[in-house]
Amino acid sequence: MIAFLIKRLMHAILVMFVISVLAFAIQDNLGDPVQQMVGQSVPESEREEIRERLGLNDPFLVQYARFARNAVQGDFGYSYFYREPALEVIARHLPATLELVFAATLIIVLFSVPIGVYSAIKPRSPISRLFMGVSIIGISIPVFLTAIVLIQIFAIGVTVTLFPESTGWGAWLNAFFSTEGNMPSFGRGYDLVNVVGNWDTNLATWNGLQHLVLPAVSLASIMLPLFIRLIRAEMMEVLQSEYVKYARAKGISMRRVYFVHALKNTMLPVITVGGVQIGTMVAYTILTETVFQWPGMGLMFLDAINRADIPLIVTYLMIVGVIFVVTNTIVDLIYGLVNPTVKLTGKPA
Amino acid sequence: MSTTSNSSQASASPGRWERVRDSYMWYSFKRDRTAQLCLAVFICMVIAAFASPLIAPTNPYDLAQIDIMSSELPPFWIDGADDRYALGTDAQGRDLWSIVLYGTRVSLLIGFGAVILQALLGVTFGLMAGYLGGRVDTILMRLADIQLSFSTLMVAIVVGALVKATMGSAFYSQYAVMMLILIIGLAEWPQYARTVRASVLAEKNKEYVDAARVMGLRSKRIMFRHVLPNTMSPIFVISTVQIANAIISEAALSFLGLGMPETHPSLGSLIKSGFDYIQSGSWWITLIPGAVLVVLVLSINLLGDWLRDVMNPRLYKG
Amino acid sequence: MTFKKTLLASVIGAVVAGTTLLPMTASAETLRIGYSADPETLDLHEQLSGGVLRFSHLAFDPLVRWTKDFQFEPRLATEWEQVDETTMRMTLREGVTFHSGNEFTAKDVVWTIERLKESPDYRAIFEPVASAEAVDDYTVEIVTTEPYPLLLNLATYIFPLDSEFYTGETDDGSDKAEIVKAGNSFASRNVSGTGPFIVTDRRQGVRVDFERFEDYWDTESEGNVSNIVMTPIAENASRVAALLSGGVDFIDAVPPNDLDRVREADGVNLIEIDGTRIIGFQMNEERVEAFQDARVRQAVDLAINQEGIADRLMRGFANPAGQFSPEGYSGHNPDLTPRYDIERAKELMAEAGYEEGFSVEMIAPNNRYVNDAQIAQAVANMLAQINIKVDLRTMPLAQYWPEYDTRESDMAMIGWHADTEDSANFFQYLTFCIDEETGAGQYNYGSYCNEEIDALVTEADSETDLEKRNEMLREAEAMLYEDVGFIMLHWQNLAYAAADGVEVEPVVNAIDFPYLGDLVVKSSDD
Repeated sequence: MIAFLIKRLMHAILVMFVISVLAFAIQDNLGDPVQQMVGQSVPESEREEIRERLGLNDPFLVQYARFARNAVQGDFGYSYFYREPALEVIARHLPATLELVFAATLIIVLFSVPIGVYSAIKPRSPISRLFMGVSIIGISIPVFLTAIVLIQIFAIGVTVTLFPESTGWGAWLNAFFSTEGNMPSFGRGYDLVNVVGNWDTNLATWNGLQHLVLPAVSLASIMLPLFIRLIRAEMMEVLQSEYVKYARAKGISMRRVYFVHALKNTMLPVITVGGVQIGTMVAYTILTETVFQWPGMGLMFLDAINRADIPLIVTYLMIVGVIFVVTNTIVDLIYGLVNPTVKLTGKPA
Repeated sequence: MSTTSNSSQASASPGRWERVRDSYMWYSFKRDRTAQLCLAVFICMVIAAFASPLIAPTNPYDLAQIDIMSSELPPFWIDGADDRYALGTDAQGRDLWSIVLYGTRVSLLIGFGAVILQALLGVTFGLMAGYLGGRVDTILMRLADIQLSFSTLMVAIVVGALVKATMGSAFYSQYAVMMLILIIGLAEWPQYARTVRASVLAEKNKEYVDAARVMGLRSKRIMFRHVLPNTMSPIFVISTVQIANAIISEAALSFLGLGMPETHPSLGSLIKSGFDYIQSGSWWITLIPGAVLVVLVLSINLLGDWLRDVMNPRLYKG
Repeated sequence: MTFKKTLLASVIGAVVAGTTLLPMTASAETLRIGYSADPETLDLHEQLSGGVLRFSHLAFDPLVRWTKDFQFEPRLATEWEQVDETTMRMTLREGVTFHSGNEFTAKDVVWTIERLKESPDYRAIFEPVASAEAVDDYTVEIVTTEPYPLLLNLATYIFPLDSEFYTGETDDGSDKAEIVKAGNSFASRNVSGTGPFIVTDRRQGVRVDFERFEDYWDTESEGNVSNIVMTPIAENASRVAALLSGGVDFIDAVPPNDLDRVREADGVNLIEIDGTRIIGFQMNEERVEAFQDARVRQAVDLAINQEGIADRLMRGFANPAGQFSPEGYSGHNPDLTPRYDIERAKELMAEAGYEEGFSVEMIAPNNRYVNDAQIAQAVANMLAQINIKVDLRTMPLAQYWPEYDTRESDMAMIGWHADTEDSANFFQYLTFCIDEETGAGQYNYGSYCNEEIDALVTEADSETDLEKRNEMLREAEAMLYEDVGFIMLHWQNLAYAAADGVEVEPVVNAIDFPYLGDLVVKSSDD
């Protein structure tokens, strides 16, 4: 167990080291931050002075060593754009992203488990087939396109005039397919409630929740079909197993077999994949947040790339690296607890 | 199960083995309406995309044909449409139908190119890791682990920045198609490597491999001539999914402004450029290329599903 | 996020509402501002930036300030006259006090000008000023090294500082007057100006709180804002969202993609102002021989449909331009309108021997100016009409300026706003023959050089008879128009947005520094 954690720690350090070196290697070509820090009529000599003062002219190794020394002490430097410590900037954007991921996860869990289980129990029913069909369409729609379609339908509104307006049924159908829009699709809203520190939540007010709906649904849309299919596949496999047959033979009610015995064993691989995928979702937020202008880490990261805000880019990548390693570790630990036959110190299978 | 069929047929000549496989596939294909439809749609789109210079009414790369004054015209079924532009025009005044055809070609090129690169890298590394084992295996799989723990998109963004940094942005935009193939190829090779490695591990201790080894064949030859053919079906199934993924990855990168430039757009960059105008009511600029992208990816995914059912390979899970 | 509804605040709010039960009166309004940038420092002379200049108009007053139509409005200087070619005498306002309680006199103006001349950011701009002298308590004489017609333009940058307040030593022994760039000086943390608002609290990058200065000299101002909470909201989207959801009452720099959204939203108003920033292209004559031929440059100009770009791509959020100077500027020449004539352009190309055309590389930013990348693409399309094949590259701002500085492309986009709000500035930076020594032509990407125009503008810059000077600058614009030393596209508009009742329109201007001291807020309860 301890050996496992140490190994993971080494893994995390390795990841962060690689990221920091990579990020440092690309920084020169991301652009010149000084250009954005001074007025247009400031002469080159002044700019050179600032560059010198920021240490941008030092050799690569010197800059890297300075960065690494400070980073170890928790100081990741100042964001050029925000003029604040990079870590603080990220801390400020983190709650928005986490809430979005949380809401999306909630949607995924609430829908994928019942749908997945149902379509495993009744694989041939038309409803199962419908779910499977819809889920493969879901996989095929990129997350940003889902977002755009949601915006068009629920935020901008659609006016359908396909059917003859003069007839009663035509007018009814037109009205039925038309949407009014008006759902917020832009930012977090301003009815946020402060929880603690810099964590303002969307979850406490109606307005906040409304703002959360479309981004969360579009973020969930990418994972939901995957989970439905995964749960269905695992469940079907479990239902074939001996002990389920045995439980059934013993006369335990079907409901109990499905939801207690079979589901429990289904969840194991689902948790493994799920944990990893939720880590991945943090990355997908880049797309979702860009479309909905959700002021979280993803949007911040893309802006930072465009602004050549190097300290912020490096810090973000390292933080995301840590998030991935941590979720993977937790997943493995849970896996180890649930299924003691897995040896945590073992080599990759 | 494929394991039994593989081992029992390993002694048969590859040609006959292929034919048997083909005939089963053909049988299943004949019965599966969805697969037929998807293949038809996919082939039509590929043909239309690669024949776009012949089909498209205008050449969107010929800038002289573009007139800003005819920008944002709606498609034919909406009032205010212009007969010359069936699907309307984008914000620059380009014919949407033509630009979507050309854009599909760009997307397909990148999708296929990236998957070929992924497969080359992944199969090579997977074979090495699985067959050679030991330290090579540990290093390669650790690399794959790390890379997989980040999503493709993140890796692609970082690799893209690296490529840009080493080659310069002028070079990058000049060879944008090649660059995107490289980025997406580098970002997703572990998918192949893991699958191939898993199959190799399953095959490695089979009699025919032992036999080859006893006969004194070199490991390179064993790997490529004997083990690889027996891992083809998972590779084949993965490839369809990966093509769809690569097309989506490219679209996502372009949507973030890190992919194809708007002068030479892929479906993703078309969606991006149209998104700026969706608020002002010109939805077709973004949703028409979007619909094309979905149909393309969906048909590939459904074909992949069908292939998976037919071939039933052992895929690496988790 | 900034507008947290803290528990404490809502409790206080409930208590206040419960005890007074009175509607807010029109004389006590709190204005919540969401600006794209906050002042980097409270020391006006540490950094020349939009954020600091906007702050200057809140806590300080300039000697004179610009009106909406580019006239000078007396502020701390009430009268001015040119005594001789190089000396201007200014009469100062009496009865003005600083926030510290000190009285404002001529010595403060002299002290401020001397400090400006030491500031790294302002040094170059105040180069022409030789000295300033207090004649008596309310008269000051400013002497320039040479006859200099733009002294009043400079005076808009002179916000007198409280010399007594900023003199002496701090507890730790450093000079209170020192200017430290991005450092922790006395002046960067403490303020005493004459302006309508006092800084009550400031947390860098988070918020600045202001309270109306009770002894403000301008009692005629109708401004009724009693408190200001200024929050920097750098992300465009968040800023717009803050306004739309009522978190703030006033924002600047509405992003172009959100103009429609804001225009149509209930309860908020979009205020568009004709801007003074010229957007255009420079042709690199060093790299492309054809661009050295005036006929080719004219053909390029004729092939570009400025009206089309302003109308279609910009959706009217720009005024098509045929010259540098927008209306109101000294050199604005009403005769110079955009040209568009493809046939003539083709003829000119043929005359110059380029009927077959040629290929060029073009660079443009994609996140600096409104719709910059789309404009560049449209221009590329238009140039294809006269067989100039454009290979366009767009990039984020951070990569654009380093790329621009290398001058390794054939055409480059640039937007320029004259710091002095004067026509000559455009020429000096954008089209003057490059001279490393004097810094002339610092942003002349294409190495365009027309000595006649340079001579005329230089002459104009020492002509103190403003009528004559304007005539010369108009002539310079006409010459440039003929010679096409710069491809003009349009002047990009500015966009502010404010909640209903916040009457921003009269106090905003093309210079982009709202005069919030004069802002009237009509309470919604009225």
